[in-house]
Amino acid sequence: MKRPVTVVTGFLGSGKTTLLGRVLSKPSMKNTAVLVNEFGEVGLDHHLLRRTNERTVLLGSGCVCCTTREDLVEAMLDLLALENSGETSQLERVVIETTGLADPAPILFTIFSDPVLQHHFTVDLVITTADAVNGALHLDRNPESVKQVAAADKIIITKTDIAEAGAAQALIARLRAINPYARITEVAFGEVDPEDLFRPDPSGAATGSLGDRAGTDQRFLEGPDAHDIAETHSVSLTFDGPVDWTAFGIWLSMLLHTHGEDVLRVKGLLDVGEAGPVVLNGVQHIIHPPQHLGSWPDPDHRSRIILITKRIRPGEILDSLRAFRCMIGAKPRLLEDEHVTTLS
Amino acid sequence: MCVLCGKDFVAQVHWTDRHVEDRARASGPGADPVEYQRDRRRDRIHRAALTNEVLGHYGLRIQEWSGSKYVLRDRKGRTEIVQDLGSLWPAAENLSGRPLDPLDPALQASLSGSDDAWDEK
Repeated sequence: MKRPVTVVTGFLGSGKTTLLGRVLSKPSMKNTAVLVNEFGEVGLDHHLLRRTNERTVLLGSGCVCCTTREDLVEAMLDLLALENSGETSQLERVVIETTGLADPAPILFTIFSDPVLQHHFTVDLVITTADAVNGALHLDRNPESVKQVAAADKIIITKTDIAEAGAAQALIARLRAINPYARITEVAFGEVDPEDLFRPDPSGAATGSLGDRAGTDQRFLEGPDAHDIAETHSVSLTFDGPVDWTAFGIWLSMLLHTHGEDVLRVKGLLDVGEAGPVVLNGVQHIIHPPQHLGSWPDPDHRSRIILITKRIRPGEILDSLRAFRCMIGAKPRLLEDEHVTTLS
Repeated sequence: MCVLCGKDFVAQVHWTDRHVEDRARASGPGADPVEYQRDRRRDRIHRAALTNEVLGHYGLRIQEWSGSKYVLRDRKGRTEIVQDLGSLWPAAENLSGRPLDPLDPALQASLSGSDDAWDEK
């Protein structure tokens, strides 16, 4: 059984450490190890806390997201050694806190590609914190913030207690426009139940579910223009039948090779003509090892794929998939179309 | 490269190859290894055939090679040996001298020829 890893990322000063400080003080978190990059003003006190100094090794391709974080490899191997020697009890979870300006992709790449770590750890959740006071400003000025939001499975809105009335709602609308499928929760003073925070369900990578329906239905009513924020687009697709997994892999790997940095997120369930779907989850070039499920998690057995892209328009994705349909074996269709027709 | 068996150490399984490996692991230690090899081989040949539909547009061709590698060739006879789809695209770009882009309308037009054939089925 691989140990689950949660990546906590978020805007500068958005309260990542406050959130972790509160959560880690709970007794149920004693077997959770924490790796932090910096000690902020809020001191964290935990016996399994490790500090790492970011040390990245750029691989030959020169792509920023395919970098190995040597410091993380070292720290995580250290944790494994401690556990194996019996100095600590079995690790239940590892939480990695990134710096406010960090792109989460290299962390995922490190864990999925390291020859040892890939067999012992799996990333089941990316949590992004955004603060209701300065969140909008970060989104405007900081392209890394958009990447952090796109990579998130859960978004925690912090500082709702000191923000102006309506600020949190405006921020939620913007975040939803970038990443319609992340679960968004409002939290004041870091008060959150750790069980709830670290549970991958319902929008985690482990299940591949596409978030709560209420949120998505609301989004469909807003019309396609609402998805587009500063060159960021999100598109939800389905296919009219089972797809050839090998062909879809060819298309997606080719797209990621050429436009990897512009594909901020790929997530969904794919009907490949087997008893259960394939769970697909990727952040930029980094694709989680796809899981072939034994059965569908809900009664809806259609493929559902969401792509969050930068600069690539939804129409281009759709045209490309249409051209590839002779290989893929099914026609792509925008999911929105269906909802708009059934709603009107 | 291992000096005893002449094979590369491949520490990283590309995500597109995972399903065959996962299926083999799921079937447990008592499973028929011949079945796994047959499955894997079938999958690799199918992948090479599909990939050739795309590579044809760039004057390239790929061939499955003894269940361990793929051989990529251009029309001048230059070859590259690739491990998986992850290493195929950079190698193909290198041989063809231009980016391989699934959003390129020219590639889409060339694929849509076979698309019409698909419609008629």
